[in-house]
Order: sequence, then C-alpha cells, then structure tokens
Amino acid sequence: MTVGTTLPLLKDPQMQFGATTFFAKQHKGDTCGSNGLPLTPNSIIIVGRAQTLKTINCPYLCQYLDFIRGKHERTIVVSQYCGTPLAELIEKRRFEPEEIVQIAYQILEGLKVLHGRKIVHRTLSNDNILLQSSGDVKLFNYGLFHMSKFGSLVSFPVFQVLYTAPEVFLNGINRLSSDPKCDIWSLGVCLAELALNKVLWSSLKLGQKIRKILSMLQVNGSILEKIAREHNSYEQYLEMPEDLKEIIEECLNVLPSHRPTCDLLLKKPCFQQFKAKEGEGFRKICPPFEIFTIHELYHWWQLAGGDVLLELKKQGLIRSSPPILSLPSLVLIEGVVLGQDRNPATLYDPRIAQMPLDALYQRFAHIPFPVFYPLIHSKSEIIADADPPPYDATALPLVIKEKDPEYQLHRVILLRRLLHGYPFTKDFIVEQSAKDIPPLLRGEIWAALLNIQADYETTYTRIDKVTHTTTDRQIEVDIPRCHQYNELLSSADGHKKLKRILKAWVYQNSQYVYWQGLDSLTAPFLYLNFNDEGKAFACLSAFVPKFLHNFFLKDNSVVIEEYLCKFSQLIAFHDPDLANHLHEINFYPQLFAIPWFLTLFSHVFPLYKILHLWDRLLLCDSSFPIHIGLSVLTQLRDRLLTSGFNECILLFSDLPEVDIEKCVLLSTSTYQNTPRSVTSREHENGKFHKKDELDIVGLKLEELKKERCPRISANDVVNFVRNRPNDVLLIDIRNPTMYSRCSVMGSINIPFSSVSFSDNIIDNIGLHSAALKSKGHKVVVVIGDADTDLETFPTFLLQCNISKVCVLHGGFNRLLSVTPTVLTSNNAM
Amino acid sequence: MANRSGTAQRPNGQSQGKICQFKLVLLGESAVGKSSLVLRFVKGQFHEYQESTIGAAFLTQTICLDDTTVKFEIWDTAGQERYHSLAPMYYRGAQAAIVVYDITNQDTFGRAKTWVKELQRQASPNIVIALAGNKQDLANKRMVEYEEAQTYAEENGLLFMETSAKTAMNVNDIFLAIAKKLPKNEQNTGQGGSVQGRRLTEGNTEPKTGANCCK
Repeated sequence: MTVGTTLPLLKDPQMQFGATTFFAKQHKGDTCGSNGLPLTPNSIIIVGRAQTLKTINCPYLCQYLDFIRGKHERTIVVSQYCGTPLAELIEKRRFEPEEIVQIAYQILEGLKVLHGRKIVHRTLSNDNILLQSSGDVKLFNYGLFHMSKFGSLVSFPVFQVLYTAPEVFLNGINRLSSDPKCDIWSLGVCLAELALNKVLWSSLKLGQKIRKILSMLQVNGSILEKIAREHNSYEQYLEMPEDLKEIIEECLNVLPSHRPTCDLLLKKPCFQQFKAKEGEGFRKICPPFEIFTIHELYHWWQLAGGDVLLELKKQGLIRSSPPILSLPSLVLIEGVVLGQDRNPATLYDPRIAQMPLDALYQRFAHIPFPVFYPLIHSKSEIIADADPPPYDATALPLVIKEKDPEYQLHRVILLRRLLHGYPFTKDFIVEQSAKDIPPLLRGEIWAALLNIQADYETTYTRIDKVTHTTTDRQIEVDIPRCHQYNELLSSADGHKKLKRILKAWVYQNSQYVYWQGLDSLTAPFLYLNFNDEGKAFACLSAFVPKFLHNFFLKDNSVVIEEYLCKFSQLIAFHDPDLANHLHEINFYPQLFAIPWFLTLFSHVFPLYKILHLWDRLLLCDSSFPIHIGLSVLTQLRDRLLTSGFNECILLFSDLPEVDIEKCVLLSTSTYQNTPRSVTSREHENGKFHKKDELDIVGLKLEELKKERCPRISANDVVNFVRNRPNDVLLIDIRNPTMYSRCSVMGSINIPFSSVSFSDNIIDNIGLHSAALKSKGHKVVVVIGDADTDLETFPTFLLQCNISKVCVLHGGFNRLLSVTPTVLTSNNAM
Repeated sequence: MANRSGTAQRPNGQSQGKICQFKLVLLGESAVGKSSLVLRFVKGQFHEYQESTIGAAFLTQTICLDDTTVKFEIWDTAGQERYHSLAPMYYRGAQAAIVVYDITNQDTFGRAKTWVKELQRQASPNIVIALAGNKQDLANKRMVEYEEAQTYAEENGLLFMETSAKTAMNVNDIFLAIAKKLPKNEQNTGQGGSVQGRRLTEGNTEPKTGANCCK
C-alpha cells in the first residue's frame, strides 16, 4: 500500500496560531493582603481567569490555546490566528450586501456563545474579525476584557475607541462590569464600515473620536444615515438593502435597553438561510471525529522546539531594554521604589505575532498518513502486522518520552481515539497507560482509569457548595498554602475552585470529615481538570474509596495504625536489614509516614512528581502506596542504615530529592513480587477486595501490632504450591510426628522446639539452614498450628536478615479443606 | 541506642561546657505560624506559603547559653483539631512547649488557652510553657491585645512574647528565654531525657526532673 504523508493534514489553513502580549497591573508598595500573605500577582489572577476561555469551541471564534507569564507581570496570550482582519480589506475591495449579512450572522453567532457564558467582548472591531479564505469569519482576542476582570487587572483601557458604545464612556470605562449590549453597538459600527466601505473618522484624533461618539447621543433619527453623510456616502446609504440597513440601525441604538440582543437579531428573516445550511451538518448521528485539534498541534509545536517568548522577541513584540534604564530614580529607606514606571505606551501591544510552523512540518514530514488512523484492535495478524511499527521509545526515560514530539504525536493520536470510545475501550486505555500517559491527555485518562461516568457534571451541580459550615475556616487557611508555586492553584480562580470542590466533598461524604491534607490530595485533580471542576470532584470521589477507604473518618486511628503496621511488615518482608535497623532505633512509621499515606504523597512531593507517581498508582490497588513508601526508604537506604534516630527523623522532616521514576520502578517491582495477601488489610474497601474463608479475615489490630512479619493467606499458599512451587520455601514448624502424618507438598520440617533462639544465627536451626541461606528470591512461608508460637520463629528469621518471611494465616489446619488437596502424608524428608 | 554523650565532643569550641538536650513541642491552632516560627529559628528562613503540617515535623537547633550548649529537639505539630489525638504522643515527655496563637485572630487565642490547660493537666509537671502571640508584623490588624495575653500568661506562670516569624522579631528570644528557664543542674542523670525521641509511642512517664545534662 502506498501511503501519503501527513503534511496536507497538518497544513490546514485554520491550524495556525499567533500570540499577543500585554502587561498586568503591578502591585504598588507593600504587597500584603489582609491575611498577611503577599498579594497574588495580577498576571497570575489573569492566567487563572483566562483558563475557561480555552474551552470555548465555536467555528466563529478563534480558539484560545495558552496563557504564559513573562517577567515583570508580562502576560502572553496564544490563540488560533488565521485569515485576514477585515480592517485591512476595507476600502481595498468591495463587500457585497449578502456577504455582509453573512458576516453579521457569524459574528452574532460568535457573540451569542460569549454572552451565553457571561463574557463580554468589549473590543470588537474590524481589526479582530478575521476573514478566512472560505469566506467565513472568526473573532479574535475576544477574551481580554474577561481575563483582565473587566479591565481592572491591567493599567491600560480595554476598548477600541471608535467601536465603543457611548454608554461605556458615560458610565466610566473603569466600571467593573459591562453590559453585553455594548458588543451589539460595536457590531453596528463594524457593519457600517463594511457597508459603506469606509474607514470611519480615520483622520480624527483620539479625543475627537470620543467626542464624535458622544455626539451620537444627540442624534434624532438614523445614526447610520448621519455616519454616511459625514463620510460622503449618502448614496451608498440609500442603495443599501433594507434588511442590512435595519440590522445596522438597530445595533446603533444609543439606548442600550432598546438595543436588541444577539438572540433577537438572529431571529431576523435574512439570517434564516444560514441557519438552515448549518443544520445540515448536524444531521449526522454523531459529530465528526477530529483527527487532531489545534490544542494538540500547539502542544507538538512546543515539543518540536516552538517557543512563544522567543518568537515574540524575534518579531519585536518583546524588547528588552538595558538594565540600567530600568533602575528606579529613588528608593526610600522603607523600601518604597519611585520612578520605575513603565512607559504606558508599552503596556499593551496591539500587534500579533504569527507563530511559524515550518519546523514542525519538517519534523513531521516523514510521518505516514495511517499514523493518524491507528488500528486499535484486529483479529487478523496480517492486518495487524501491516501497520507501520509504532515509534519506538520504550527504552527512553519517561521525561525524554514526554518531550519527544513524534512519540507524543503517536500517543496522543492513539489515546484520544481510545478515549473517544470510552467506556468500551477501558481495557485498552489501561493497557496503554501502563506504558506511559501522554501529559496532554492525562486529565481525561485518569478520569477513565477511575471509571468516571458521563453524568458527573449533574452530580456536582446538585451539591451545595455555598452554605457556610464549621469546616470552612480550616479549608480557607489550608488553600493558600497548598501547592502555591503552581500558577493555576495560586490564582484567585484556583482558590475558589479548590474550596468549592472540598466543600462539595465534605458535603457529599457525611461519613467523613475534612482532614488537613485533603487539600493536597485534591490539588492534582484540580490542576488536571482546571476547566472542569465537576470532573475533578468526580475523580476525587472515586479515588478516595479506592485508595483511602475510611482514612478520613473522624476517628481514623485504627485504619491508619493498621496501614502503618502493614508498612512496617512490608519493609521487613523485602528489606530485613533496614527493618531491623529501624526497629532497633525505634524509628516507627507513625513518626514520619502519616502525611505520606494520608495524602498519598501529594503533601510531600511537588505536582510534577505526583503526576508520574499517580499515573502508576491508578493502575494498582490500595496496597500500592506502601510499596511507594518502601521505594522511598530504599532510595535513602544507605543514609538510614548509618543514621541514628535523630538523623533519620530529620531526614524525613525535609525529604531529600527522590527520583520518582526510580520510585515507580522499585514499587512496581515489589508490588508484583509480593503475594497479594501479604499486604491485605482488615480495613480495606471490601468493594475492591473480595475475600473468602481462605483469605486473611478477622485479624485484630492488637495482634497485628505484635507481629513483625506479615501473614499470608491460604489462598496464596495454595497458589504457590500448585503453580509456582519453585518460588516458595514452606517451613513447617510443627512437631515431627504431626509433620510426618500430614504436611504440605514440598514443605520442610523445622520443629519449633528444635531451634535455639538465643542468638540471631541462622545456623541455629540446624540441617535446613543451608536451604534458607541459599533461598534467593523465594518467599518463606512459616506454617504452624494453634499449638505453636507463630511470632518467635518468623521474628528470628527476620533478625537473621532472611527476606520474604511470612506466616500462614490460620495455620496448617486452614489447608485441610482445600480441594484438590495440597497436602501429602508420609513425607519422606 | 548508644548514650548521647557523643554530642559533647562536637567540635564547636564548647566541649568544655555542659551540653543539654531538651524536647520542645509547638502547639496551637492551625495557620498561626508554628512551622514558620520553627523554620525561622532553625534555618533563619521564612516562606510566605509555608505548607500545612500533617502529623508532625521534627527539627533540631542548638544554641549557646553562657557556658552551656542547649540542643532543642523540636516537635512541630499539626494544628487542626482532628490531629489532637496525636498531640499527647508529641508532648509526652517534653520539657518545654510553645503554645502559639495569631494576634489577628481571637479564636486562636482561645484555642491556645485550651492547650495550656491540657499541658498543665497532662504533660510533665515541670514543663516550661511559653505563650507566643505570632504575626506581630500584622499588629495593625490586631484582635488580641498585648495586655490581655500578658495578664493571662502571668496568671498561669507562662513565658510570654509577641513574635513575628516573618520579621524574625522575638523568635530567637523566646527560645532563648525558654532555654534560660529550663533547669540545667548537673545532678540530673544524663540518661533519662535523652531518649525522649523514641518514647513517643510508649506510655512511659519521663524522669521527674524533666531535663538531662551530660558532660
């Protein structure tokens, strides 16, 4: 099969983007809020507010892609940018009335979407209406007024003088809200310019323009007519088709209350033809699947070396002046700085820097077309083999894989397909996630791994997140301290969202209470689903029962104590040397591991590490966190082994750098090499861990606390005997008589009474000590019965640094009922 | 463990003087600045967004007092009411405690009083308690009057200072004042208190003197 390349696919004229930049208002003087915390920089608030703009997806609006903070409160907005601004075409080509009506229709559809989300454009002008080669238009830069909180977060005025409705000037341009009706006025001006094909009042100065607009308030009769007369275009005015004239005149009504809304205007008969045309697309049963989106293209572009900041510098939108020029004129002894004001002309730059995509095209030029249509599953090996071999990056470290544009292209294309088929593709998603999770889709993939249902949003909407509760104070003091190095989480919107999610969770889980740490636990979900609070909440709600069942009970001490006991036992199981040392210096997990497990490390690691850790955690069960704990200890093993109590505890008070990829590898390896029942707990969620009488049930905490070696279930022992006899060493410590009467196949007999426990010397057990010394990776199962001491012997083995020692729960008799039997009599040992 | 007289040989020029170790615990409502005080005292740092403490954190700091070297083993506890059940594990056997409140929040002062009562009832009888009114840098938003807290402190025999972890005001001073007040008499056996770090989960009572010195 001959295959084309992907370039035509990538070179879609609409898949282009550009950037604009401006400065946020700088805080003056001492910058502390009422709570004593420093004021959040306005650029962070802007970035937080702007996130929601990314979710706007309408054919007549350019999509927002990214918001970047530069130095000194510089804010950079990256958005789709394609086509030609109408302003560049006026007076240069003719616009037919039908064309203008179509443009009016598309602008109105765009504005309708914005107004529906309570976003006012405020800067609508022919400069930011982009005409596409297809004849359609797209609005650009419509989010500035929203992201700057109605202009209050920037120190330049957010409006386009000529297009601004008179009431905006009358009310004062700094008023903190705006009626969407002002956009309708601006639309009127834009359409008037097109219909008259004249750049209006181009020769007037700023003040004169404002006076001109205000003079409209005095006009009796048609404003359009007045404009036409002033531009020597009265003839065009008379020739204008009635329907178009009517639209413009209704828009240019000086009374906002009499000006129509988008919806009202869209009901005009002249627009109905477009509505009918649009309807055709929706006759298809399901919406067409986009092969990739502009968000993904932007992501790949960045990975392929695209750098917005650099590009802005190259194109002259960011100019750095020598540091000496930015020295303050005067610094008072209290630290107040004077005379460092920025030139107001540089605060906002109307220019747009188009981002060049050639490097990306070049990078992806060789990629064959079928890559965009990955074969998900096929029963035919011939077909499956015909697929191009996927880009092999398995050997590369995770951080490199995440930065490799080509690999991410493959992963994103494949996983987005799979997500599209969720929940039916859940198994494939799990399988692929085990390899790695592409960062761009992590939020959605996590939601899929947590089995989030489609109706999550309704559930969230219905929960009371407003009513004051006694927990509020605690939540309020915790949030401003939770992962605040992250821009999204430190923004005002981030704080509000986190608070709502936590309140919703407390409300929804009346059996639980808010524990400090829940904030950190929620942070990764909010970070990944910043524009979808409902999903973040749904993820948290699914995550807690799976991994932290009953950890947030008002009295959780039993649950936590049991968990910490199992942690100690797991250390003993895999690393007896370390366990013995920690035991000797009385270094208990209670002293350091509570925040680890209560927040599943979200309180101890920065976000980027948590993401990689949880990528794996989500594929495992609730015992995985203790394996992570073990892997952290393993990384610090050498220092722990040579340290006393104080040094050890200090080490954990300020956790040193931990390599997360290593953590994941280590913990996955111990997780896979630990019989499931070794980490089973009485307090784990029965919904996820079904148990029968051959499992470990009914073990009391007081008993558990006495045991340094874990127990193993009869089920696991039977499994070893039947399927993996070479991976186990069964030690029967009952007396020889009972042993010879009946014993487990392949077990050896070391009668309890025959061993001297006075010193920790393995040779004390005599004949079989060699088997233990050379046991390798084998799991050592100690089998006794009701009459034997089941603590001394395993502890003795542990103290002799024998690894993987565990005790059969319920003793020998538990195996009697197993059929087909694993027992044998007259053992010839 | 081995006895800690080893610390006496530290090359700090103080080897001739006494070395005393004290266990000190910080208590108080959450977000009053306990961790910030410790961080300022131990590392001279201040983080605006100091993360909340879960469970407890452990730090040490050594100060010199005349001819004596005092080593504080500091347990910084979680403030949230729910972690209350863990608190005895940390204050048990402590020779000193700093109860912290936020001068801009009256409730935290109330909570501080509760902590003082609990310490007087449950902790070692000779425990030295200091009351710290933190966030003094926000004095213009003060809700707890200096005199009110001072009177309370005098009535209950507490050391009292208003502190600011942010500006470092009185931070070293309060630890120093505690160090001065702690008994450093040599007849105390050098063994008792030295293991307090590991007694956390046991119910043992600490030596009555509550302090230990080793030469």
